[in-house]
Amino acid sequence: MIDWYNSNSVLLQTTLTTLLLALSIQVSMRVGVFSFAGIGAFGIGGYLAAIGMTKWQLETIPAIAIGALAGAVVVFLLGLLIGKLTGLYLGMATIAFTLIVAVLAINGGELTGGASGIFGALGDITLEGVALVVLVVVALLTFTELGSLGRQLDTVREDPELANSLGISVTRYRRISFAVSGLIGGLAGGITTLTRSTITPEEVNFHLVVLALTVIVVGGSGSWVGALIGSIIFVWLPTWLDFVSEWEELIYGVLVTLAAIFLPKGILGVIRDLIHRWQSSRAKKAAGVIGPDQDPHSISIAETALPAGVGGRTPNRRPASTTKEES
Amino acid sequence: MQDVLNAAQLGSVYLLFALGMALAWGTIGILNFAHGATFMFSAFVAHLVSQAFALPLPLALLISVLTGALISVATQVFAFQPIIHRSRNITTAETRILIGGIGVASIPLAIAQRMTHSAPFGINTTYQDVVWDLGLFRLSSTSLIVLIAGIGLGLGIIFWLRRSKQGLALRAIGVDSETAAGMGINQFFLSIGTMAVAGGLAGLAGALLTIQLRAIAPETGDQLIIKAFAIIVLGGLGSMTGAFIGSFILATVETLVLKANLGSWVDAVSFGLIFIVLLLRPQGILGRKEVRRT
Repeated sequence: MIDWYNSNSVLLQTTLTTLLLALSIQVSMRVGVFSFAGIGAFGIGGYLAAIGMTKWQLETIPAIAIGALAGAVVVFLLGLLIGKLTGLYLGMATIAFTLIVAVLAINGGELTGGASGIFGALGDITLEGVALVVLVVVALLTFTELGSLGRQLDTVREDPELANSLGISVTRYRRISFAVSGLIGGLAGGITTLTRSTITPEEVNFHLVVLALTVIVVGGSGSWVGALIGSIIFVWLPTWLDFVSEWEELIYGVLVTLAAIFLPKGILGVIRDLIHRWQSSRAKKAAGVIGPDQDPHSISIAETALPAGVGGRTPNRRPASTTKEES
Repeated sequence: MQDVLNAAQLGSVYLLFALGMALAWGTIGILNFAHGATFMFSAFVAHLVSQAFALPLPLALLISVLTGALISVATQVFAFQPIIHRSRNITTAETRILIGGIGVASIPLAIAQRMTHSAPFGINTTYQDVVWDLGLFRLSSTSLIVLIAGIGLGLGIIFWLRRSKQGLALRAIGVDSETAAGMGINQFFLSIGTMAVAGGLAGLAGALLTIQLRAIAPETGDQLIIKAFAIIVLGGLGSMTGAFIGSFILATVETLVLKANLGSWVDAVSFGLIFIVLLLRPQGILGRKEVRRT
């Protein structure tokens, strides 16, 4: 176990940073904002962390923190600016934002190292540290997926007009989602950059948008669990199957297309459906003394319709016959 | 003067590329993100054929146009139409079409990148570029072909949409697809036809640009997608005239930026343009106002 852990620590770390990157987009998607601004924040966070380490002689944690905060602030301001846009327009505007970050990095001169980027920004990052950050992020996200907050966010995504009329402030949640998306994206950028010790404008490219989108679409967009499934698939699949690493981009493309057509809720959606089906079939079996193919709900109605004495004595046979007559 | 010509020629390439996207998006509502990959792969197929023997120019163009139309129709039939059938409403369909398009785009890109090892590729033709010195500027025969193809097809499509019966039907789908269906418009065949035309235009643009630049990189299509989006947004969704004007505006501004020795900022023009237009005039120069709540 320890051996496996040590020999795969790089892959484990990549899985975690990929998860963060994917989460930065998923946070927006969960409130119905089709925004790729998190990828731009990845660039901002990565560059600032690298500049902090190499030019300002910061420690690892402050460097990453500055990058993440800057990502959050910039993306939040972007959200104020373009938050009114919807659907595709918002998606494309945020892709443009991400690419502008790359153009700025190319033209940053001394500070960003131009087209060749920044080298030698190796931070003091351990797998445990990354895992801790991811745990905190995931714990907070779990909180937003459960209970009344979770239901409010679902309403904001599925039916903004209904949410507004219920007194849920759609605009507020959308703005917050921009800031959170920027924060997570910035974290992902900082951690990734200081692990690899380099960042170039090439990395903050359309390719990264595709990667993050792929992870979410294939894994499932409804919950962080989906992003985790996606990250695991995309980081580990090439190491398990040789032909996958050879044809990586092609296979990802096919997977995204298939997921977009057949699995709008991703693999997580399929798993949830299966669990739900299994549970309901078990519930049916539990009520199966009456008859396996009957809906337990209609039986309970039939039961209450019977005179109390009759139902009490022969609860198993009589209701079955009544429901048959009903239908 | 040479700069004006360069801008016009760049604008023509943009126009050929953006027209197809604008046509599909503005009428049947499909923002095809695989348009860039279609563009690239059409030229790539011509490149593969031309490795066997040097192609005459018309044949090279024909191969690209047919490949483009084929890819585009296949994308429509096997990806976009199933998505539309399986979506609850237009908004989710739009998003899934965009995601599906991004997925489809990776496939030809991966194939081309693997076969060329990400190196630029060209088309081997029997065609010889001739350059005429006209005093004020120098005009090459390739530029002339690009200009004529861009402006000619641009105007052709604008008039076809305005005057022909199919054009009317297409515009009707763009305004209200349900009512259009009620008026007896066969959306299936029209959407296939539109995608074929769009893909053919992408293929033509791909082959012409490859011949003009001698070689293009497999990733060229990705950059053009964002530029075409900027052009469509600037001109106004649903307006072919808008796309026409938008292409030349973008090309002019980019040429000016290049002229000012700010070469590395060229790409920022289109990205910035998207922001400015969406913020100040979301319907674009000539677009109709789209009414959509929240």
